[in-house]
Amino acid sequence: MPFIPVPGSEVFSSRIRSREQIQNSVGDSVSLHHAKPDDVEQLDALSYEVIRHRLWAITDLMGQALKRMSGSLVVTDCNDFDVAIADEFGDIVQVGPYNTELAASVDLAIKWILENRADNPGIYEGDMFLCNDPWVGGGLHQNDVAVLAPFFHDGKLFAWTAAVAHQADLGGVSPGSWTPRAEDVFWESLPTPPVKIVENSRIRRDVEDVYLRRSRVPKMVALDLRAKVGANTVGQERIRELIGKYGADVVKAAMAKQLDDAESRLRAKLEKIEDGTWSATCYQEQSMKDDRNVHKIVCTLTKAGSDLLFDFTGTGPQSGMINTTFSGMYGGILAGVLPGLCGDIPWATGGLRRCISIKSEEGTLNNATFPAAVGKGSVASAWATMNAVTECISKMVDTSIELKREVQSVCCGTWQLCVMAGLDQRQQPFATMLTDSMGGGFGAGVDHDGVDTGGLLLIPMGKMPDVEMNEFVLPMLYLWRREETDSGGPGRFRGGVTASLCFVPHDTPVPMMQVISGAGKTVSQNVGLAGGYPGSSQVDIAVRSSNIEELFSKGIIPSSLEEVDGDLQILACEDEALLSPGDLHYMSWQSGGGYGDPLLRDPKSVAYDVAELRVSPESARNIYGVVLQEPGFEVDADATEQLRSEMRQIRRSRAQKAGV
Amino acid sequence: MAYVIGVDVGGTFTDAFAADDKGNVHSAKVASTPPDFSRGVLGSIDALADNIGLDVGDLLRDTAYICHGTTSTLNALVTGDVAQVGFLTTKGHRDSIYIMNLEGRYAGLGQEEIQNITATRKPAPLIPKRRVKEIIERIDYKGSIIVALDENAATEAIRELIAEGVESIAVSLLWSFRNPVHEQRLRELVHQIDPSIYVALSSEITPRIREYARSVTTVMSAQIGPPLRSYLEPLATDLHDRGLRGKLLVMQGSGGTVAADEAPKHGITTIGSVLTGGVIGARRLGQQLGHKNIISTDVGGTTFLVGLVVDGDPVFSSTTILNQYELNVPMMKVATIGSGGGAIAWLDPGGNLRVGPRSAGARPGPACYGQGGSEPTVSDANLVLGILNPDYFLGGTKKLEVELARQAIKSKIADPLGLSIEDAAAAIFEIQNAQTADLVRTVVVGAGHDPRDFVMYAFGGAGPVHCAAYGADLGVKEVLVPLGQTAAVFSAYGLATSDVVLSVELSDPANFPVDAETMERNFTQLEEEVSKRLKAQDVEFQSISLVREADIRYTMQIFEVPTPVPPGRIDDSAVQVIADNFEERYASLYGAGTGFREAGLQIITYRVFGTGTLPFKPELPKHESQGGSGSPAPKQTRRAMLDGRSGWMDVPVFDYRVLATGTELSGPSIVEAQTTTVVIPPGTSAIVDDLGNLIIRYR
Repeated sequence: MPFIPVPGSEVFSSRIRSREQIQNSVGDSVSLHHAKPDDVEQLDALSYEVIRHRLWAITDLMGQALKRMSGSLVVTDCNDFDVAIADEFGDIVQVGPYNTELAASVDLAIKWILENRADNPGIYEGDMFLCNDPWVGGGLHQNDVAVLAPFFHDGKLFAWTAAVAHQADLGGVSPGSWTPRAEDVFWESLPTPPVKIVENSRIRRDVEDVYLRRSRVPKMVALDLRAKVGANTVGQERIRELIGKYGADVVKAAMAKQLDDAESRLRAKLEKIEDGTWSATCYQEQSMKDDRNVHKIVCTLTKAGSDLLFDFTGTGPQSGMINTTFSGMYGGILAGVLPGLCGDIPWATGGLRRCISIKSEEGTLNNATFPAAVGKGSVASAWATMNAVTECISKMVDTSIELKREVQSVCCGTWQLCVMAGLDQRQQPFATMLTDSMGGGFGAGVDHDGVDTGGLLLIPMGKMPDVEMNEFVLPMLYLWRREETDSGGPGRFRGGVTASLCFVPHDTPVPMMQVISGAGKTVSQNVGLAGGYPGSSQVDIAVRSSNIEELFSKGIIPSSLEEVDGDLQILACEDEALLSPGDLHYMSWQSGGGYGDPLLRDPKSVAYDVAELRVSPESARNIYGVVLQEPGFEVDADATEQLRSEMRQIRRSRAQKAGV
Repeated sequence: MAYVIGVDVGGTFTDAFAADDKGNVHSAKVASTPPDFSRGVLGSIDALADNIGLDVGDLLRDTAYICHGTTSTLNALVTGDVAQVGFLTTKGHRDSIYIMNLEGRYAGLGQEEIQNITATRKPAPLIPKRRVKEIIERIDYKGSIIVALDENAATEAIRELIAEGVESIAVSLLWSFRNPVHEQRLRELVHQIDPSIYVALSSEITPRIREYARSVTTVMSAQIGPPLRSYLEPLATDLHDRGLRGKLLVMQGSGGTVAADEAPKHGITTIGSVLTGGVIGARRLGQQLGHKNIISTDVGGTTFLVGLVVDGDPVFSSTTILNQYELNVPMMKVATIGSGGGAIAWLDPGGNLRVGPRSAGARPGPACYGQGGSEPTVSDANLVLGILNPDYFLGGTKKLEVELARQAIKSKIADPLGLSIEDAAAAIFEIQNAQTADLVRTVVVGAGHDPRDFVMYAFGGAGPVHCAAYGADLGVKEVLVPLGQTAAVFSAYGLATSDVVLSVELSDPANFPVDAETMERNFTQLEEEVSKRLKAQDVEFQSISLVREADIRYTMQIFEVPTPVPPGRIDDSAVQVIADNFEERYASLYGAGTGFREAGLQIITYRVFGTGTLPFKPELPKHESQGGSGSPAPKQTRRAMLDGRSGWMDVPVFDYRVLATGTELSGPSIVEAQTTTVVIPPGTSAIVDDLGNLIIRYR
């Protein structure tokens, strides 16, 4: 289908704008409170550290407040939300440690508000703006709804606080607001550019109704709206106290210094690395249901001095429903930069951003033009952007002897979505997403294996539910949920293994409807580094009309699909299916990539992995070239050395055959 | 004459406290004796007898009971010096304790550690994977058997484990709390092969839904049961041989005790044993002083513990984190938020001044200890600022080296930052105070409360130096420094004032409105069980009380809120009262109007606490000053900086021993007691109460 741009939509496309540009647009409409260079210069070590720590503590309290008030599982359980404090221009001084991708683009939304809302309807004390327009920013897809609150001191706009959270449903043709069938954004939730949801410290009922009317679960969304308003209120009360104690100029100077400090520390780190260019390509297969193509995001990272240029030239054109906007790409970059380079640097993205420039063509997968479908963007092209960025950064850091301990290969490369709807064991309708796939494997580093079932890199504090809790709430019975032997990307250091699960519908009279949405089923997204192999790919398999009841009655619990009779059906990346009583559903998400040549792995570590069932004896031999003696998995050193030498010889001859 | 004795074992010191029924109290402090802490326990009782002027045999013969706070189980788990355990679990679910719901990668870590995500790791596995045997059996959420237990395969698996030399076997099967028959049968199978093997069943240790924490709790119980028994049995025998007629009781993380001979069966409840004495002491002192809401801050050299008392009762948590593992152990909520006086000041790569969370610990300790420490700590800053007296630390028993403190601050902080040593020290002091306020506020707000509704108690050697400052930042009503007879051994005092507390629980998840008869049956069953266990303690109680509680949540949510359940027969209207109690509790925790009522309610777990009140409680005696009445004379005046804004001042320093009840001191002042130093900054005043405590108030 030809893509037809919408004239007039370009105003909503946020880009990174300089402070001068914003100051010019704001003009006299709003008076901004600026840091005085002298104050920043003269700020003493004591005040800076106390205020820095307090700002961090405030984001912590804001996060707690949001989590405690929310009624939504993805917020309370999966930490799919975040909070931030920004200066008067929207430059972020501190983001919370929840879903870092979300908060990363809050600055774009604030800058957009300053440029487009200052004169009409104006920005006043007691206001808060709501935004779920991924082109404007503040989130990655329409389900991410931000509430952005200006903070005034003595009549001047001093700072901003923000809270963003994923909402379960905000309309569109399918429950959950994204569908594998979407051809453009009009199939999905309606994007809402910044609107004044709170005026004079009161939620505007008319605006709230416009927002809630689109949702299939308006009461839950209303509760979360209050949670976000509440989080901002908590943050602002604390900032007011802080100013009361130290004075506005000192607090502002500390905010400015935090930005400078983050920037200069990142620059200092980058200066330690040789200049160079690194590139990575991340593939996604299927851009919508029945699509048979592969779509690529290409990232070329050039480091010169202490500047980073992320160039996405070569990235495929926008396609189907896996696109993301500029702010999704930007969020993906920061979600790679924060864990990859800034584990020990304050997460003041407003300062870190000064080291980063971006080159990208509009109309591509991760810089999609309105009205492209972008509902899945957060876990599709934004995440793929993060993978490519992580790979480039890791390759870059790996060249520095001093810093390479911070390297980490790509982790679990995307989300594996399994939404199910039907009648539960209490005959009540249900619709939910399985969150077990939160437990992916971490990538390996230069001196350690990746964390087994460690989670997702962009959500520092993820969580999986217990099997019993899912079986209590949902009509399902797990045959297993286990770590998968051999799933971790092989390498001198092994990628963290991932897990799989297999369940049957239990105690439900009717089939369940399933929406399956993922990627990385035929291509590896969790690549290895420095000769390390990629980790496992995503798998969804159904076994239709199985003999599971018969097996149970014979006292058999299968531990593999081979032990079950029935029709095996491999599910595509984008699929919709019915799971009937007697069917099995198996899914396995991605592990982490390996680091270094597996033939260099310490044979004792391989033996330990075999003893701990993380590597099979076959893979120990075939991939790692390690020969073990039964029983007890002792390394046969001579045989191992001989095997490894043979494997190297095979590699050499293969290289010659290929004419290399 | 009858005595009760509390003995608290810390990493460095073992404290003992005794009270008699005439209102006299005594205390003693001796060095701890790792790795065999029991020698220190006996030594502390010898010292106590000395102080009272009794032969130790006479003291023990007159002792009604000894409450013992022990680190032995915690140490065993932290150091991995535990019994070899085999684990039996449902086929397909062996890896639950390795997957750890993935949160095991970060559970219990501080914010900065969590941010450094690529450096986070899971802890070492509890047991090797091949020592976990998957058992063919399956029970569903209703307790129905889906696949029968394969006894032949199970027997084979058990034989393999025993052949490998395991000392104990943990059993945790899916849904066993709903239907324990398979777990019980597995124990029979184990004992048919070897009756001496210690077996822990999850359906008995913690019959609560969520298999990850239940399995971890069961495995750890099996790991520490045998070593706890081999620690307590000889200790009890020794004490009885020396004359003890009463019972040896062991403190649990719940803040209540359990008889030493019963403790190993549920050994896991003792892991918080030494953390809770301070909170119990604060609660007991609060009862005497009429304080119902207390923030208890216990600041030692290496730890900073925060606990809460709300409406007269300690705040509880039904789970706890140990070594990043989640455990089902109802425990008093005691947060470890920092590193105390030994917290190290350092410069980060950006050249910014930071304090903690790393600590110099007891060895080498702060630079001023002269034990080879070269890194500047909070204690070093306090010494440079004139707050600590180099000649009167721990009552003059430990000399502090000012020059070493100055050198450490100069080379590591002052010179790189271009500050004077004094200004660097002042910055360290203020940062420590402000960060403490941040962290304490997070704990209090996180529990759903406002610090302004609280009185703060500050004890431990390093707390009273800073408490006035962080108390002001938090906005508490007043700060109380316990300085009477209990000052040196406050936790041991807490132990001596405790009761026997046992809890039993059972998960039976159901949607509201829950069938009243089911609820009645569950609570009756739990009450019978806890009464039976109280009886098994073989201790004479003054009275017994049973308190019911239910963990309830909105259907959409993952965390339950423990909700009070009224006593008496449960009918439909009582079920409604319980639902209302939940909504009320929820609103008080999370704010009015935040409940998502449309989702409906679910009850998850039933719990009953049984408390056996011990016969007598030590009342603290009135304070006796060595000085006369009237306004006391300072023992000296010294230059000190008590807060950054006021700068250096001549500060009068008072010897605590000459302060009489009713004495009022106004800031700036310093009070030196044998165990601690109290800072009374400008803008505050302090008064000595009847019991000799110092109460700091803000003007």
